Amino acid sequence: MTAVLAKIVFGSYVLVIAAGALTAAISKSLVRALLGLILTLFGVAGLYLLMAAPLVALMQILIYVGAVSILIFFAIMLVRSGPQEDGARPRTVRQVVLSLLALLAPVVILGSAILQGRARGGPLPAEVPVGELGAGLLGPYVLSFELISLVLFVAMAGAVLIAFEKRGKR
Amino acid sequence: MNALMLYQMVAVLLLSTGMFGLIWRRSLVGMLICVELILNGAGLSVVAAAQLTPANAMLGQLATLFIMGLAAAEATLVLAIIRVVFNRFKTSESEAVSELKG
Repeated sequence: MTAVLAKIVFGSYVLVIAAGALTAAISKSLVRALLGLILTLFGVAGLYLLMAAPLVALMQILIYVGAVSILIFFAIMLVRSGPQEDGARPRTVRQVVLSLLALLAPVVILGSAILQGRARGGPLPAEVPVGELGAGLLGPYVLSFELISLVLFVAMAGAVLIAFEKRGKR
Repeated sequence: MNALMLYQMVAVLLLSTGMFGLIWRRSLVGMLICVELILNGAGLSVVAAAQLTPANAMLGQLATLFIMGLAAAEATLVLAIIRVVFNRFKTSESEAVSELKG
């Protein structure tokens, strides 16, 4: 019973992810593309929950839906694009061919690798306690933890420096 | 078709859709959205490989948390770059930004 239910839930999450990703990739309006991205983020968070990783799911919603999508919305507002922004001119044949190639290459290469790799799944996923994650973050992986905070700090400071250049100075 | 393969297939779907959109999109903001799709696929793949195999589950979850932090840093920087490009070129299309020493 639970296995069937898990399959149904997995299928619906995959549907949500596929619809959101497609909208994010080809929608003409950027705001709709952003909404598609948010839909995809929620679907991936659901998959994390299915894999018994609730902390990662929560962080996905907090960081991606809460912070990154707001940033992208600021970017959309900053460039003040019109409604026809992304479809004003028809695309060249070269662009269409290249984008289809970029679509097919990962599917063919990685998909065949997955199918032939015979990756064996282990037992049912077990939930890692949050305390253990925290202990890992402050114990053996404390250097990468500090480095990621440094990267974030440098990125924010650099963004402020770039964005607030003085006018007329160039 | 076990669970691990299914999750990896979803990750490949996210990667390929993101790469498609990266070339299909003309505006820088749309390309940023597609990069976020790709990063999400990477995180999903890492967590699936950690949770559904006998590998170290804690390591995979921490790696995905780091990926999320890097994605946030990247989005901030790209936002600043888009703002500068828009100020100089008055557009955010990627094809317009093709001159050096403008």
